[in-house]
Amino acid sequence: MLRRSFLQASACLIVTAAGTAGLPHAAAAAEDAQAFIQGLAQRAIDTVADKRLGETERDEQFRRLFVSSFDIPEIARFVLARYWRAATPEQQQEFLKLFEDITVLTWARRFKDYNGENLQTLGATKDGERGWVVDSQIMRNQGPPIPVQWRLRQGDNSPLRIVDIVVEGVSMAITHRSDYAAAMQANGGQIDSLLAAMRNKIEQLKAAG
Amino acid sequence: MSSGWLRAMLMGLGLAAAAAWLAGCASPPPDDDAEAKAEFEQINDPLEPTNRAIFTFNDGLDTYFLRPAAQGYRAVVPPFGRDRVLDFLDNLKMPIYFANDLLQGNLSLATDTMERFLLNSTFGVGGLMDVAEPMGIPGHKSDFGQTFGVWGIGEGPYLVLPLYGPSNPRDAIGTGIESYGDPLDYYLNNNYLKWVAWTRMGATALSQREAYLDLLDDVKRTSLDYYSAMRSLYRQRRKAQINQAKVGEAASPDLDKQTAQRK
Repeated sequence: MLRRSFLQASACLIVTAAGTAGLPHAAAAAEDAQAFIQGLAQRAIDTVADKRLGETERDEQFRRLFVSSFDIPEIARFVLARYWRAATPEQQQEFLKLFEDITVLTWARRFKDYNGENLQTLGATKDGERGWVVDSQIMRNQGPPIPVQWRLRQGDNSPLRIVDIVVEGVSMAITHRSDYAAAMQANGGQIDSLLAAMRNKIEQLKAAG
Repeated sequence: MSSGWLRAMLMGLGLAAAAAWLAGCASPPPDDDAEAKAEFEQINDPLEPTNRAIFTFNDGLDTYFLRPAAQGYRAVVPPFGRDRVLDFLDNLKMPIYFANDLLQGNLSLATDTMERFLLNSTFGVGGLMDVAEPMGIPGHKSDFGQTFGVWGIGEGPYLVLPLYGPSNPRDAIGTGIESYGDPLDYYLNNNYLKWVAWTRMGATALSQREAYLDLLDDVKRTSLDYYSAMRSLYRQRRKAQINQAKVGEAASPDLDKQTAQRK
């Protein structure tokens, strides 16, 4: 009995190995992209569901999870667009830091409303030289699933990271870009005023919990 | 109060707004700043100062009346009840969806709508229960603005309508046609049942606002500039709906039900 299952297991392993070896490299990467998103969703849900964590610990875990999964410098450059080049290196660094804070606080708040939803990935398609789009849907207790697309990029020496999330045709990066450009103009096109507005927003988000 | 009177008032408001829009144009950036000019054209909001004023007015009404009412509705009526209201109101709009499915040339979607209407109106107890969805015919919405988009008519500059919110000339005309062309409203208004049409309108506003409570709270909380975040969201969403309708997919599989947080 034991012998037979061992044989079966070996056979499975060999078949799997052969299958993987035979596939072009792209197919394996598509699975990587899909697994990356599935893994991220699971870790985020685990963090929310872990009742042993204190509030500060949970926030810390969220921060680590998001900073490692989102390509914040890439998103920040896209969001700031032409103002990025006009900014001094110090202003750029400050913007990155504040943008990271806003992203983390926003997502931590969204996960506070977590209500047993699950993410189901459906597949990944190639998007340019080093990019992937992972199709997924958020499964809820009630109501139809919500379609979500994740745009991923791989840097020279970095793992896959998220550069955009598209929910029902609405891109988060594009929405942010339009939002930040308007905030920039409202502040007389001054980067320092924008940074002040961002600090203000961070205080508001922290106060609202 | 007759609905004719209110329509006249709304039209008056619309005309006043149109005049103000024309007066309050944003000045385009100078020609030598190519990037700023590209951005200005991409934002496509030449009437921004007036749009912002109307947006602030709408947001005030929402903050003090509609949003609290929607919160109260959520607190009092359980998810099951709210779903029945959404389904019932959605079923009443089937003639509009059907007309637009046909106008968009989406015969299979038009068939879906017809089947859904017949099934839900009978077995679904007058539309209270969406029995068609579990039978494999999911719902979708289609409107006149979307139909015009499918026909290749551009959106035009961004507009914020008083009370109604984000729009553009194309979608505003679509909304106008719908308000006159709805067969049920037409029947009600001509048979001394205007109060029913009014109740329907109020219930729709409340039920839709409740469905968008969490989404709009999130946008307001996280954006630096609520106005432009909404402008961008509206534009992108409409574009996606039109693109889906062009390829004959169900454009928005019941967005209100999707965004509604079931607590």
